[in-house]
Amino acid sequence: MTELPWLYAGVTAYALAALTAMVGVGRLGAMATSPSLSVASDSQRNNERLVLSLMAAGVVLLVITLAERWMRIGHGPFVNLFELLISQLFSLGLVYTVAYWRIPVLRTTAVVVLPLMGVLAIWVLALEPSDSVFPPTYHNPWLWAHVGFGKFFLAFCLVGTGLAGVILLRGSAFFSNLFRHLPDNVILDKLAWRFMLLALVFDSLMLTAGGIWAQDAWGRYWAWDALETSSFLNWLLLGGSIHARTTYNVPLRLGAILIISVFVFAFITYFGTPFYSQAAHKGVI
Amino acid sequence: MLAVGAALSYDNPADTSIWVLVVPMLLLAINLVAAIISNPRINRRGGLLVFHIGLLSIVLLVAIGRLTYMEGHVEIISGSELSRDLLSEVRSGPLHDGAFDDVKFVQGPYTVEYRPQMMRGLTHSYVAIPDGQGGWSEAVVGDDRPLVLEGYRFYTTFNKGFAPILSWLDEDGQVIETGAIHMPSYPLFDFKQSNSWTPQGGDEIKFWLQLETGLKVEEAWVLDGRNATGTLVVNVAGNRTELQPGQSVKMAGGSLRYERLTTWMGYKLFYDPTLQWLFMAAFITIAGLGVHFWRKISAEPLGLDNASGSKNNRAKDSVATSNSVAV
Repeated sequence: MTELPWLYAGVTAYALAALTAMVGVGRLGAMATSPSLSVASDSQRNNERLVLSLMAAGVVLLVITLAERWMRIGHGPFVNLFELLISQLFSLGLVYTVAYWRIPVLRTTAVVVLPLMGVLAIWVLALEPSDSVFPPTYHNPWLWAHVGFGKFFLAFCLVGTGLAGVILLRGSAFFSNLFRHLPDNVILDKLAWRFMLLALVFDSLMLTAGGIWAQDAWGRYWAWDALETSSFLNWLLLGGSIHARTTYNVPLRLGAILIISVFVFAFITYFGTPFYSQAAHKGVI
Repeated sequence: MLAVGAALSYDNPADTSIWVLVVPMLLLAINLVAAIISNPRINRRGGLLVFHIGLLSIVLLVAIGRLTYMEGHVEIISGSELSRDLLSEVRSGPLHDGAFDDVKFVQGPYTVEYRPQMMRGLTHSYVAIPDGQGGWSEAVVGDDRPLVLEGYRFYTTFNKGFAPILSWLDEDGQVIETGAIHMPSYPLFDFKQSNSWTPQGGDEIKFWLQLETGLKVEEAWVLDGRNATGTLVVNVAGNRTELQPGQSVKMAGGSLRYERLTTWMGYKLFYDPTLQWLFMAAFITIAGLGVHFWRKISAEPLGLDNASGSKNNRAKDSVATSNSVAV
């Protein structure tokens, strides 16, 4: 399997980015009491540049992994868990890297987000790197729309979860000191929910595009199969959480727990379902 | 309630009542109507209003769809025309009033590509459909390209196979009846291509079809009925006869002639007049949501320029807060 060295390299780049981010945030926390602010700022800026470079390198290496595999087996990463996880590592990494680059306040969340991606990385490395067969019903442009929207949905949930994680971690004295350079929790909460709003838009688009694809491919737009039902429950949880957040005075910590719950539910939906369903949509391929 | 209903419907358990979804959907619709009418936070914000009306439309369209839908299966012999008596496993809503009897197509041959180890690939099913000028035109359907006629959608399935065409002749050699024996799905049941038929007042006739299709499990292969041949083994009361196309066997009361070998294709049938409206409503709903979020985010900047950390924050000029943020 010619793509495996590229996969190992990409995962290593992500791991180094995670370690570098942790070192950087740790140092920033320690320097928060230092009188030399300009040194702290320069040091942190260099650290963030290194994290960004490593994440970008990881994304590029995973693109090569996917391209190499695509050329070898003749189709994109849409079928078995091994290729789905690589694809998610790529897309989550890409969206988070862009967010990290463009929205500086998010950078500290790398200490939450990158370990979460590490779970996916360890999982993919533990899997048998098997090839897959492309089902005839997957030759449909709506598959791309469905999967693409789903990737943005999960990536926005991940960014929101990073912020929610920081809010929750600030509950302890150690992390409160570590994250003291960040804006107030009220602002982090607001930013996190904006990502969850975006997640709701893309979750809705994913379900709609999936319905169109399913109608063409299997003659029904909805079937309450394992993955579809979980996706719908996930949409209800996300919509309900946003509804609660915008309608009621939800405490910050509860809001953060809701965000993390949505992400965990999505994680279980997209990566847990394959435990008992070998294909993404069992029974219809 | 909707989440509970969805959870109860998880993986389509056969004993789950449709009411576990109907009741919460009905309550959701009532709730949406009340919210749209009475809540100024919804009805005075264009995007949010569109979103909620869109959700209500989706619920109503789904309900209309379930009242008017029709589903079923059709097995149709190559060379024959669709007719209502070919339908099986039909389910339809109480208000279904589609024009199924106006649907016309003639099944042609089909091909199915297989990769090594019998992995099914693309299906190309050739059908003749009315061209609107009294003639017929050819269409190719298969996999994610259904045949759509009068709103009825026909999807090819893995369920397809071979069918010997047989004629029953009287003592004088006159054809009394011609029909087809559908053998089990092929190649799924290539090991038991058998079926039986009992003529009126006669003994059961058992058929076994010995096929030559070029199937090689280890190699890529294309199933094409036009390239297949089959020897029909006929067994009546222990008397075994092998027939080639054109040959016949004498029996009590007449004779049976094996005319030719053909194929049949199994289609899944689906009809729902709300489909286009449903997907249009879904996209308008999401567009409303997008517009609402965009306006909300544009109107309420986060103010990260002036944001600071905790009261004792001494590193607030770090990179994390030194740039403006527009989310």
